Amino acid sequence: MTAFLLNLATLAAISGILASTLNFIVGYAGIFSVAHAVFFGLGAYAGAQVALLLVPDPFLACLAAAAIAGGLSLCLALPALRVRGEYFVAASLGLQMVAATLFAELKPLTGGIGGLVGIPRPEILGTVVPVLPLALAALALILFLTARLQRGAFGRTLQSIRDADSAAEALGKNVNAAKTLAVVFACAGAGVAGALYALHLSFINVESFTLDQSIQIMAMVIIGGTGTLWGPLVGAVMLLSLPAVLSFIPFIPPTEVGAVQQIIYGLAMTLLMIFRPAGLVGDQTKGRSTS
Amino acid sequence: MSGPTIGRRGALAAGLALPFIRPATAQTTEPYVMGSLFPMSGPSAEFGEAFTRGAQVALQHIAADNMLRRPVRLQSEDSQALPQPSVVGMNKLISVDRAHWVLVSWTATSKAVAPIGDRAKTIMVNGGAVGPDLAGLSPYFWNVIALAHLEVQVMVPFLVRQRNARRVALIYVDDPLGDGILGQLRTALPRNGGELVGSFSVPRAAQQFGPVVARVRQTRPDAVYVASFGAQNAQIVKALRDNGVTQTICSYSAFGIDSLRTMPEAEGALFTSQKLDLTGAHALTSRFAADFQARFGQAPLVYHANYYNAAYLFGLLAKQVEAAGGTVNGDSLRAAMLATRKFDLVGGEGEFDEQGNMLTQMQVNEIRGQQFVAIG
Repeated sequence: MTAFLLNLATLAAISGILASTLNFIVGYAGIFSVAHAVFFGLGAYAGAQVALLLVPDPFLACLAAAAIAGGLSLCLALPALRVRGEYFVAASLGLQMVAATLFAELKPLTGGIGGLVGIPRPEILGTVVPVLPLALAALALILFLTARLQRGAFGRTLQSIRDADSAAEALGKNVNAAKTLAVVFACAGAGVAGALYALHLSFINVESFTLDQSIQIMAMVIIGGTGTLWGPLVGAVMLLSLPAVLSFIPFIPPTEVGAVQQIIYGLAMTLLMIFRPAGLVGDQTKGRSTS
Repeated sequence: MSGPTIGRRGALAAGLALPFIRPATAQTTEPYVMGSLFPMSGPSAEFGEAFTRGAQVALQHIAADNMLRRPVRLQSEDSQALPQPSVVGMNKLISVDRAHWVLVSWTATSKAVAPIGDRAKTIMVNGGAVGPDLAGLSPYFWNVIALAHLEVQVMVPFLVRQRNARRVALIYVDDPLGDGILGQLRTALPRNGGELVGSFSVPRAAQQFGPVVARVRQTRPDAVYVASFGAQNAQIVKALRDNGVTQTICSYSAFGIDSLRTMPEAEGALFTSQKLDLTGAHALTSRFAADFQARFGQAPLVYHANYYNAAYLFGLLAKQVEAAGGTVNGDSLRAAMLATRKFDLVGGEGEFDEQGNMLTQMQVNEIRGQQFVAIG
C-alpha cells in the first residue's frame, strides 16, 4: 500500500505544480491557456535528456526544464499580448496542436511516439532519491512565490489586467511586460513539473502532453477554484485521487471496470460543479447563474 | 467490579479495521492475484474487453483442472492506454493487490510499467502490443505475441507468391511499430521479388485519410499494407475503399478484432497472426474454443487466444514452482520458464527465447463473409 500511496502523492504533487502555475495565468492574469501541457512536455523532454545524456541530477534537470519551458513560453506570450478571451483560447489551442505534432516528429529529441525509455532515477551525490520530496519542495516553493507575487504590486497589476486591461493600461500599468512575466513564471513552473514527471516515470512520450492533458489541468484549476492559492492544489489532488479511489470499488465485473469508473468520475465532476460552481475552495458567491 | 472498557472511538476504529484483519494462516489459502492493465474505457476499450475475456477462460481452466494449490483472482485496472493511468494501476496491482503476474497491453502502457515491474520483480506478459521495441524491456517483461517485424516476414512471401502482389504501398503510423514494419518491407519485398512503391506516414490522431489515399492510388499498388492500431485501422480501411482503392488490403494481427471482421469495407483484407486452428485436433485449442463459445457466445479470435495463453502460462509455471516446493514469485516463475522454454498452449507449442519472447507458428488470415478464415 505504501508504494501505491507514495506514487499517488508524487503524481499529485506534480499535478499540483501544474495546476498552481496554470492558475497563476488563468486565475490572476485572465489568460485562458489550453497549452499548459506543451510546457509540461518541454520540461519533461529537457529533464529526461539531461538525465539520459549528462547526469541524473534532479536540480540540473529542473533547471534546464525551467529554462527551456520558460524561454519558449514566449511562443505563448506573444499571442497573449495581442488577443484575449476566446481568441486567445483558439491561439493556445493551435500552439498545443503544433507542439504535440513536433513532440511526435522530433525523434532525435523526443523519441517520437515511441518516447524516451529508461530515464534514470534521480540521484543526489550518487544516491538515488525518490521524486516525492523533490516534488513537494518544488510545489511549496511555487505556492510561496505565487502567494508573494499575488499579494505584491505585480499580483495587483495582473488582477487589474484580468478585470479590465484597458483600464490597467490607462492607469500606467505595463500590461505587456506583466503578461509576459506571468506566462514565463507559469511555464517555467510547468517545465519543472515535467522534469520531475520524467524522472518519476522513467518513460515519457507525447501521449502525456496532449490537449487532453491541458484540459485536465484546466479542470483541476476550475474544480479547485480559480484565483485561489489552495484551490488548484485541492483540484489536482481530487482529480488524481478519484480514479484511484474508484479502482477500489469491489464487485465490478472485470470487463466493465473502465466504463463504471468513468461514469462515476464524470458524474462526480458534474455534481461538484452544480453544487460548488466556484470550485471547492473558491468564493461560492461567484460562479452561480443569476438567471 | 469493572472489566476493561472500550470507548466509542475505539469500537469504531476496530469495526473499520475488521475487514483488513486476517488470521496469519489465511496467507496460505489466499488467492494468487493476476493483474490486468488494459484499456477498459475510451476508444480502445474493445481491445481491453477482448483481452480480459481470453484471460477469464484461462483462469476457468486453471481452476477446473485444480492446477494450483491456491485459487487465482483476476484484478483488472483500467490503463486507458496512457502512461500515467498505467503507472497508477501498476503500482496498485503490485503494492496493494500484491499481484503475482500482470497482463499488459499497448506500447505506451508496456514501456511505462516495465520499470515498476522490473523493480518489484513481477512478471509482466504482453499479448497485444507488437512494437519491435518491446523486446528486452526487462527480464520480467515477456511477449506471447509475435512482434510486428516477424509478421511482415510471413505476409510478404504470401503476397508475392500466392497473390502475385508485387507492388506494395504502405500506410503507417510514424512510431516504432510503423518504422519497424517499414524497415522490414524495405528489405523483405525486394528479397521476395516485390517492390515497396510508396510509404505514407499518418499522425497517430489523424482521422481523415483522403489525401493519403489519393497518393496511394498514384503509386498503382497491387496491395496496400496498413500499419496502424486501434480504431485508426478501421478508419484507414474505410477511407481506402471509399476512395476507390480496390486492391488487396493487408496488415498484421491488429486486424483480428470484431469491429474489422464485421466491417463491409474490410471484406477480403488479409492479415497475419499466430496460428490458431480452432477446428484442428489440438486438444487445448479445441477446449479453449468450445469453452469460449459457451461462455461468451462467439468464436474466439487471435487476441482472445493470446491472453488465454498469457494467463494460462501462469498456471503452468506456478504449478512447476509449487511442485518443486518453491514460492511463487517473479524470480521463481522466470526460472521455471527458462528451464522449460516450450509450452503446450492454444494454437500449438510456444517456445520462449532468453528475453521472454515467444516464438510460434504464424498464419495468414482473410476476412471473408464477416469471418476470419485461415488461408495460408
